[in-house]
Amino acid sequence: MSERILGYSDRLSALPGDAVNFKISAPMPGKFKARLVRLICGDDSPEGPGFKSKNVDSEIDGTYPARHQPILAGSYMWVTARQPFDLPNFTVQAMIWPTLPGNGKPQAILGNYDAANGSGYALYIDELVCLAFRAGKNPPVSTGVKMLARHWYEVYAVYDSGTGRVVVGHNMMLTYHGMPGSVSETQMLAEPMGEGGRFLIAAWNDDKFASAHFNGKIDGPRVSGRALKPAEIERLRDLPLDVELAQYVVAAWDFSRGMSTVKVTDVSGNRYHGRSINLPTRAMTGWNWDSSDFNWQSKPEHYGAIHFHDDDLYDCGWRTDFTLTVPADLGSGVYCVHVWQKTPEGKIEDYIPFFVRPARGTATAPLALLIPTASYLAYANQQMISSWWFDELSSCKFATMSSVDQYLEEHEGFGLSVYDEHSDGSGVCYSSHLRPILNMRPKTDLWQFNADTHLTDWLEKKKIPYDVITDDDLHAEGVDCLRPYRCVMTGTHPEYYSKAMLDALQAYTNGGGRLMYMGANGFYWRIAYHAGLPGVIEHRRAEDGMRAWFSESGEYFMSFTGEMSGLWARNGRPPNMLVGNAFAAQGFVESVPYHRTPESQDPRVSFMFEGIGADEVIGDFGTVGGGAAGWEIDRADTRLGTPPHALIVAAATDFPDSYHWVNEEMNHTHSAVNGDTNPRVRCDMMFFETPNGGAVFSTGSISYGGSLAHDGYKNNVSRLTENVVKRFVDPTPF
Amino acid sequence: MIKIDPQSAQSAALATQFKAAPFGPYSADLQKLLQLLRWGFVRGRTIIICTKPYKEWRLGRMAPRRGLPVEVSEREVFTDYGAAAWACFRARWQEVVGQPCPVK
Ligand SMILES: [Fe+2]
Repeated sequence: MSERILGYSDRLSALPGDAVNFKISAPMPGKFKARLVRLICGDDSPEGPGFKSKNVDSEIDGTYPARHQPILAGSYMWVTARQPFDLPNFTVQAMIWPTLPGNGKPQAILGNYDAANGSGYALYIDELVCLAFRAGKNPPVSTGVKMLARHWYEVYAVYDSGTGRVVVGHNMMLTYHGMPGSVSETQMLAEPMGEGGRFLIAAWNDDKFASAHFNGKIDGPRVSGRALKPAEIERLRDLPLDVELAQYVVAAWDFSRGMSTVKVTDVSGNRYHGRSINLPTRAMTGWNWDSSDFNWQSKPEHYGAIHFHDDDLYDCGWRTDFTLTVPADLGSGVYCVHVWQKTPEGKIEDYIPFFVRPARGTATAPLALLIPTASYLAYANQQMISSWWFDELSSCKFATMSSVDQYLEEHEGFGLSVYDEHSDGSGVCYSSHLRPILNMRPKTDLWQFNADTHLTDWLEKKKIPYDVITDDDLHAEGVDCLRPYRCVMTGTHPEYYSKAMLDALQAYTNGGGRLMYMGANGFYWRIAYHAGLPGVIEHRRAEDGMRAWFSESGEYFMSFTGEMSGLWARNGRPPNMLVGNAFAAQGFVESVPYHRTPESQDPRVSFMFEGIGADEVIGDFGTVGGGAAGWEIDRADTRLGTPPHALIVAAATDFPDSYHWVNEEMNHTHSAVNGDTNPRVRCDMMFFETPNGGAVFSTGSISYGGSLAHDGYKNNVSRLTENVVKRFVDPTPF
Repeated sequence: MIKIDPQSAQSAALATQFKAAPFGPYSADLQKLLQLLRWGFVRGRTIIICTKPYKEWRLGRMAPRRGLPVEVSEREVFTDYGAAAWACFRARWQEVVGQPCPVK
C-alpha cells in the first residue's frame, strides 16, 4: 500500500503563547505543504455529518523541504558513564527470562559488540535458540542447547586472555526430568576481539544504532574483571555482592534502583551507570520473586528485572520542521496541522491534532469540553486485530482491517497501545504521543478522537460556546483548570484516569460543578503519568476488568508512581461514585434506543425532557450502530456507589447477544453473559445533584454522540442534550 | 464439543442463514458455528480488508508476523460489506473445517 506522510507534535495541549513543534516525515522527494485548520468534524462516513474543518491563517502555512525521518524502536540499556571495559580477563553474567527465543534473530544480552565492524563481544541468544558468545571475528561459541521461553536462566561467558579460553554456559532455575540444568561450552579464541562499541544490555551496536534487541527480562547483570569459576558466578547473583568476590566486580547493575526513571544504577562502586532507551518495562518481578510481596516498593530486591522488547518505543526524536506559536486570538478548540504532498496517484495527507486552551486561569465559555487525551494514548496505534486471539469473538464480526490497521501491520516500529501485546506476547504498559498516532486522526474509525468530533460538530452547529482542555492539563493542574467553568463535558470514552485527574473531577462535582458524561466505560482504569518524561502514560492490566491481556502476578504496581493499577473499582473508587454509572457491557454489531422511565417524570428532571414526549423512544437512530445506546454501555448500581438519589431517567435494555457482560462482575463463569439473557446488560441514562449546587448527567453510552447530528440535528437526543447544557451552564444552584 | 459436519443439511442451513443476514440476528446454532469459525488469532486466516473507506472491501490475510505486507486478494472486490462478510465466512469455513462451505 502507498506510503504515508506522517507527523506528530511535541505537545497535545497548548496555551496561547505556547510553541508547538511539529515533526514531519514526508516520503515523496521535494517539498510538502502545511497549514493550520480548526477541526469541526472528522466523521467522513456516508451517514455521518461529513468532514468539516476551517482553514486558519497562521505562521506555519507554507511549503517545507520533505525528508524521511526514521523510527528506531526497541529498548535497551546503554552504559553512558564512560567507555567501559577494557578488561584482559572477564566474566559477564545475568539472570534472564527470554520471552521470544527463536524469533529468527540474534538477541543480545550484554556486551560491547558492534555488528557494523565485527568488533567487541556479546553474550546473546543465537538464531538457533542457544546461548552464545561472540567476540571480534572469531566463530561464535554456542552451548548448542535450546533455551525455553519464560524460564529463568543464569547465563554467563568467561574469558581468560592467558589461555584464550571462553566458557559459555547457562543454569536453569527450574529443572525438568531428562533436561540438563547446567550446560556449558568451552572454546579457544584465535583472533583478537577488537575494541567494540558502547556497552549495551539487551541489544548490541550496529554502528551508532542498536540492533539484536533482546525480548524478555534481564536481572542482575554483572561484569567482573576476572575469569570466574561457575561456583563464583552463582555467588554473585544476589545483592549486596559477595564480600569476597566484590573486589573483582567491575559493574553490577541493580535495576530495582531508580525504578521510576530511565536511569540504571551500577552498585559496584565504579559508577558505570547507564540509562534505558525507549522505555523497557520496569517494576517487573525478578528471578528471585517468590510472592512474599506483590509491591515492588516494599521488596525492591525482588524486582530487579527489566523487561525489554524489540518493539518498545517512547520518543521518535524527530527533528522539528516548523513551530506554531499559538496566537493569543486563535480561540480554544480542536486544531490540526494539515500536511500534504502530491504523488503520481494524487495526494497524500495527514491531519495532526492538538488542542488549544484559553489563557491559563481564564474561560472564554461557560462550558469546557474535556478531551480525553490519556484515553487517546491508551489506544494509540492499537493493533487489536493481531494482538487479540479473541478479537472476533469479542466483536462478533470477521476482522476487518482499515487502511490504518493495514499500515501499522505492515510497518513495524510505530509503537503499540496498552491494548496490544509486544512481539513476545507480553502486555504493553507504556504509551506515548511522541510518535505518529495514526488512529488519533479525523477520517478514521469512529472511536475515541474521531468519535469525539461528533461533540465538537454538535456544539458548533448549536452555536454553544465551548473551550477545550485535556487530560494532560487536568492531571497537571487538578481542579484549578476546571474551576472557571460552570459545566464540563467529557468525551465519548474517557476510560483512563490518573488519581490526580479523578480527584480533580470529583472535587469539581462536589464543589458545585456540573459534569456531562457523554460516553461509557469511563473512569475505569487507573493510569499514571510520568513525573519527568513528557507525553507518556503507564497502565497495568491488574486483577480484573475487560482486559486486553493479563499483568503477570506481582506486576500490578506501576513503575512510574508505585500505585496499584488496574480498575478504579478495585482501588476503592468505582466510576459510580463520580458519574453514577459504571461499565456494564459491550457489543459492536448494533446499537439500540433508550426508553424513558417513570423517574423521568420527576420534576427534578423536567428541564431535561422539555419538548420530548412522555412515551417518546429516545435515539432509535445514529451513525454509531444505528442507535444512541450502544458499543459500550454503563449501568447504575447503588452497591458500587451510585448516589441513592440518582434518577435513572431512561434506560436501554434490548441488547442482542453480541453484547457481552463485563467480567469484573462475573465472580464465577456461567452461561447467562450476553445481552439477550443477562439483565445486567443494560444502559442507564442518569441525573443526580451533587453538593453545593452541582449536578451530573450520564449518558451511559459510547454511541450517544453518533446520534446528535441525525435529521439535521433535529432529534430528541440533540434536544435532550441541549436541554441539559442549557440548565448546566445556568448558575442557579441545583 | 460440537463439530461442523460439512455434509449435514443443518450446516448448509446455517450457512444459508448467515448469507441472508450476515450481521444477524443469528440463531443460537449459527452463533455457535460462528464461534468455532472465529476462535483464535486471525493471523494467517482470511480476513476482510477495507480498501476504500465505507465503499470497497476485499479478502486478505496477514503474513506470519508484523512488518510484512498484508496479502490482499485481487480476485473479488466487494462494494457491500455484507457480501464481503459472506465471502469471508466461506473462506474461513474452508480453513477451519478443511472442506468447502456447502453453500455457494
Ligand atoms: Fe475502551
